[in-house]
Amino acid sequence: MIDVALNLGFVMLALAILLGAVRLVRGPSIMDRVLAFDLITTCAVGMIVLLSIRWRTVLYLELILVFSLLGFLTTVAFVFYLNRAVPNTAEGQGKDKAKQPQGPT
Amino acid sequence: MSEWMTSFLVLTGAFLILIAAVGVVRLPDVLCRSHAVAKALTLGIFLLLLGLWARLGENQAAFKILLAIGFQLITIPVSSHLVGLITLQQNAPRWRHRPMDDHRVDARATTQPPPASARESTPAPGSPSTK
Repeated sequence: MIDVALNLGFVMLALAILLGAVRLVRGPSIMDRVLAFDLITTCAVGMIVLLSIRWRTVLYLELILVFSLLGFLTTVAFVFYLNRAVPNTAEGQGKDKAKQPQGPT
Repeated sequence: MSEWMTSFLVLTGAFLILIAAVGVVRLPDVLCRSHAVAKALTLGIFLLLLGLWARLGENQAAFKILLAIGFQLITIPVSSHLVGLITLQQNAPRWRHRPMDDHRVDARATTQPPPASARESTPAPGSPSTK
């Protein structure tokens, strides 16, 4: 019973990773790719959860914590980099040096 | 009993994550995609971790599972919110059938031009995203 559910869960998570890879390849802007990478990281965390359900172990809980925090850290790093690299024209953040007028999008 | 609950939680969580991935591929806009990621993905990983807890038993490593659930519940909506913030700051191209234009940065900063000019100026750079 539980083996069938775990196999179905693995198949669904692999399909989700494939769809996220599709969006990662053909995303028009860079924020689409950041979102797709966030989705792929969370799917990897879900796969680790499914493995530790199958083997009934608690050894991988630290791995789950580290993976989730690393995914969040990558998103925050990308957002800070883009916030500094692209000059926003309207708001009152003119103290940025605006060294890249076009930005990586 | 525990096996039935675990398999139900695992199937529901994996199905919600699959729905989030389909939404990331199919939805037309960055903000719509961040909406799909923020809600369905959070509930899916929450249900998967609850399935792990139901499989392992109540008081075996309950603290770490609750910590992982708390981290996921905090970090995924916050990252999606940051993505939406950067998208609004960059004036990214948006969907043709978007309902309104309230939170645009240029519309709020200038307040002079009529909405017709903003509406005809916005979809010009965004033809690849609007499909």
